[in-house]
Amino acid sequence: MKLPEWMNTPDSYVPPGGSLFAVKTIRSLGRIMSDLRVQRGHEKARAVPALIKIPLLLAVIITVSAVQSRLVLLAFGAVLLGYLCIWPARDILSVVRPSAAAGLLAAVLLLPALIAGSTGPANSALFVAKVVLCVMSVSIFNHTTQWYHITAALRKLHVPGVFVFALDITLRYIVLLGRLICDLLTSLSLRSVGKARGRYGSVGGVMGVTFVRGAELNRETYEAMRCRGFTDDYSGL
Amino acid sequence: MHIPENYLSPATCAVMGAAMIPVWVHAVKKVKEELPSEKIAMVGVGAAFSFLGMMFNVPLVGGTTGHAVGGTLIALLFGPNAACIAVSIALLLQAVLFGDGGVLAFGANCFNMAFVIPYVGYAVYKLVIRASGGEAKAKMGRRILGAAVGSYIGLNAAALCAAIEFGIQPLVAHDASGAALYCPYGLEVAIPAMMIPHLAVAGIVEAVFTVAIYTFVRRTSPDLTYLPGAAADANDLTGKADDVPKKSRIPVFALVAVLIAATPLGLLATGTAWGEWGADEIAEVVTDGSALGYTPAGLENGWELNAPMPDYSLEGMGEVTAYILSAVIGTALLVIIFKLFSLALTGKKRRAI
Repeated sequence: MKLPEWMNTPDSYVPPGGSLFAVKTIRSLGRIMSDLRVQRGHEKARAVPALIKIPLLLAVIITVSAVQSRLVLLAFGAVLLGYLCIWPARDILSVVRPSAAAGLLAAVLLLPALIAGSTGPANSALFVAKVVLCVMSVSIFNHTTQWYHITAALRKLHVPGVFVFALDITLRYIVLLGRLICDLLTSLSLRSVGKARGRYGSVGGVMGVTFVRGAELNRETYEAMRCRGFTDDYSGL
Repeated sequence: MHIPENYLSPATCAVMGAAMIPVWVHAVKKVKEELPSEKIAMVGVGAAFSFLGMMFNVPLVGGTTGHAVGGTLIALLFGPNAACIAVSIALLLQAVLFGDGGVLAFGANCFNMAFVIPYVGYAVYKLVIRASGGEAKAKMGRRILGAAVGSYIGLNAAALCAAIEFGIQPLVAHDASGAALYCPYGLEVAIPAMMIPHLAVAGIVEAVFTVAIYTFVRRTSPDLTYLPGAAADANDLTGKADDVPKKSRIPVFALVAVLIAATPLGLLATGTAWGEWGADEIAEVVTDGSALGYTPAGLENGWELNAPMPDYSLEGMGEVTAYILSAVIGTALLVIIFKLFSLALTGKKRRAI
């Protein structure tokens, strides 16, 4: 049997280059999801309660930002780094990475001002050190505290019930809807070759479907809450 | 547009945080009134939506991508008051969880992105709708136009606010020699640096993102979008839709007026900076012009000028303490570097196997 002519010619189709926005978005979403879902924290059984840690963190950040003395900043740095160096390496990495990135960004941003002379080198060093210290303390807090402890502590600090409830729902829905977006984008990128046309339509479609699904899930959540005896009183939550 | 830690002086952060408190109180109260109780959880959904929207890479010309804030979109879908709370929650999570935006600058970030964007964007959208004959009669094209213009103006208004917050830092916070303590760029640098990219690129990304999603939701499930007064009576939309926002917007205007009036108070609160500024105004001008002022003063003098009272009292033992602290930091850093180094090594080995 003889094959038709067109089947014998080699196919020279090369899809137009450039990475798909869907792939980029999946990547950035995946990173967030893994951070949120597997909060492989450093929290110990007898950790300092979040109720104390939140005001402590705020006090540290306010002091670090307001203070102009090099000695006090050195002391903060010594305490933070001293605490950090007894951690396991993997946990250290997740604190050092954002702090280093923030420090670098601050240094790059300050460079033109330093060259133009609108800020002294001493002040610039102080500024970068402060940025690093603040980001480091936030990262340490985040790494040693589970999310449900934070929301519980916020409730005890008399943050309005509606707000805490919404925060709790948000954390759950980021994972739920994020997974949905990932699935939608994966199917979208599997079905398209090279650069798709009508990309704005697909942005609208993906987020639109997510919104509709979110509204649906929300209704179901509310019905489930009603069935369990919820009486529209958020203050008691 | 997320302002990181330490770029704004603590005084500015305090003023912006204080400015947000009445906004939040107003928003929570309004949300309770406006939304039926089964929709309150929707605020959480809105926050998750807003958070994920900021992760979304919108395709731009030439294969690049940018991300939108989506504040106006949330306001169109959930109403401006719910949007205010939703975006605030998203910003809180970003600040604490990912270090995106400072914890102390949370008030300022909320002011720009959770207050200015949704309310301004929604107000512009309403203006366009009203110009085309009210909520009931407006055609789809006009709605899209409203969404596009609203989101573009909303984002740029927020960028302008952020630029002003940056730009006033050298005025409100500097040491005796006039060198800035926080963000060193004045208004003449901060405003163009913020506004040009936002007017040219980010605003368009925001408008495209908003229109794409708003159109989709509007076409597929129009009953899910926000209508003012919908909670009061779902069947009475046509008549009420135009009356209710008029009533409910008065407190918002009052708020804006109070905020505008309160901002100079915040500037005055940093009294020492303003007092000093008046005294050595000429010196500052000279230093800015020739860049001579503090370069000769150098590192050593710079520190003494910065240092407030505590440092003088610590002068004697300061040296020793500083050495000890430096030693502690050095040792800790060595241990950390060693640990990270060994982590990288074991990681490679594992991959090789």
